Amino acid sequence: MSYYGSTDYSYNSDFNLRVRDMKKGNLDFGWLDDAREKVEVRPRDPRRGLEVSDCEVGPYAIEATPDIVRENRGLAPRGALLTLGNQQPDLGPSLNKKTDVWAYRVQRYWEEAVSRQWNVSTDVPWQDLDKYEISDELEIAFCQLCTLLSEVEMIATDLPAKWSHHMNSYFQEVKGFIATQCIDEARHSEVFRKRALANGVGLLRASVRGEHALKGILEADSYSEGSVFLHVLGEGFILTLFRSSEFISPSPVEQRMFQLVMQDEARHVSYGLQHLKYLMDECPEYRPQINSFLDEAEKHLSGLFNPDQLESMIVLGGKGTSPGCIQRGIEVVGAFQGKQIDEYFHRCERAGLPERRERSPLLELQQRMLAAIQAA
Amino acid sequence: MAVKFPSVEFFRELAGLMNGDRPTFEKLGFCDVVMGVRVEAPTPRLFALTFEVFECTDVRELESPADAELDFTLDAPLALWREMLESIAKNGRAEPRYTLNSLSHLGDRMKVVYDDPEGHDKLYRFMATLQEYFDKSSQLEIE
Repeated sequence: MSYYGSTDYSYNSDFNLRVRDMKKGNLDFGWLDDAREKVEVRPRDPRRGLEVSDCEVGPYAIEATPDIVRENRGLAPRGALLTLGNQQPDLGPSLNKKTDVWAYRVQRYWEEAVSRQWNVSTDVPWQDLDKYEISDELEIAFCQLCTLLSEVEMIATDLPAKWSHHMNSYFQEVKGFIATQCIDEARHSEVFRKRALANGVGLLRASVRGEHALKGILEADSYSEGSVFLHVLGEGFILTLFRSSEFISPSPVEQRMFQLVMQDEARHVSYGLQHLKYLMDECPEYRPQINSFLDEAEKHLSGLFNPDQLESMIVLGGKGTSPGCIQRGIEVVGAFQGKQIDEYFHRCERAGLPERRERSPLLELQQRMLAAIQAA
Repeated sequence: MAVKFPSVEFFRELAGLMNGDRPTFEKLGFCDVVMGVRVEAPTPRLFALTFEVFECTDVRELESPADAELDFTLDAPLALWREMLESIAKNGRAEPRYTLNSLSHLGDRMKVVYDDPEGHDKLYRFMATLQEYFDKSSQLEIE
């Protein structure tokens, strides 16, 4: 135990006396003095049930919350009555400004995430794997890809988990959304692990370069930096990688798998984009800081393009290891990397950082990488 | 009775099949998007498909993209749309080469046209639902 409160409630004599009184039926009903104005909450659209946004009424609404929350540093949900005299324990949230965490449409993303959950064990047609002949080289390449993706998804689980308890409890929608992200990403690690094992090859090489890149995400100094790195840059790239992986999947089983992970990933990217946009709209003074961070983060990200992953993608893209297949694979990988970078710049533009296209080292890094592969 | 592609009737038939298969689409989850389908034929045609919650609630033909707030548009030649539909008819669902993702990912076979990356990302956020909607065409006789 590392936390000992100022009061030991188990030996608190006042409380024990009150409990004894209550057991005799002498209730105080003091808590009813706080009775408050009634609110009317109904599903706006009965097809959706009672949504988070339907509960945005009166003192419960985020609009009723100041941009900097000072009154609550504990676990009180937004709208709850706080005891006079700051008796709530201070849990030390460091993210108390709405701009620290908020995103346009976050309530919608939370509802969507809850509604679109799926189950790795039962929603991927594992029983069909035996129906498809996959060559050894493609299977091994696919398992190498699954190994990297499993690593990537670990960090995408850990980053939101790391920051959740730093968020003020008044920002419940963001905490709720990133909790769904944790379970999404844990499910992704699960699906890639299961797929690597399902045909007998198993997990292959863990990536040194890749893990250095991922460490950069986890070690970001602020939540917004971590979010822009993970959601916009990292997951944006991984979303395109998932799309490519569906495109080059060896069988419909993997296609289904990538279709499902792609949906979750795109939702996380949307949240990240809308958080960045909200931050840039409300706090443009953070722009230089985010830009400097991205200058470094984009270099870090190149670690995800490690030789094992690139080669496995080339083999999968070209569907083999003959010179012709490899040439075709290089073209496929080059095309999807170009797409990754272009879509990322487009998202940055929309979020209010059009200068990334000029500042970024990504294009040059990609050209160097492709030239090196071609030369080999 | 055969239904003509491309036509409003074709997409409405798919909407009817989708809305009649509640368990499948409830399992896939909420889907809120307005999608454009552009068929390049001698005379190009553009359709707006509105998805809300678990249903396709509206199908319209548009004169111009400005007539609806489209999140994104899938744009392909008539021949490619037909190949995709034939693949679905043959297999009960799109073969790997003919999924919406595969067709629109690399190369210029099917273009994804969008203004806002948020709208673009909706194609991927709701991919399984949209694919299932098109896969329903395996139940239609297409002219």
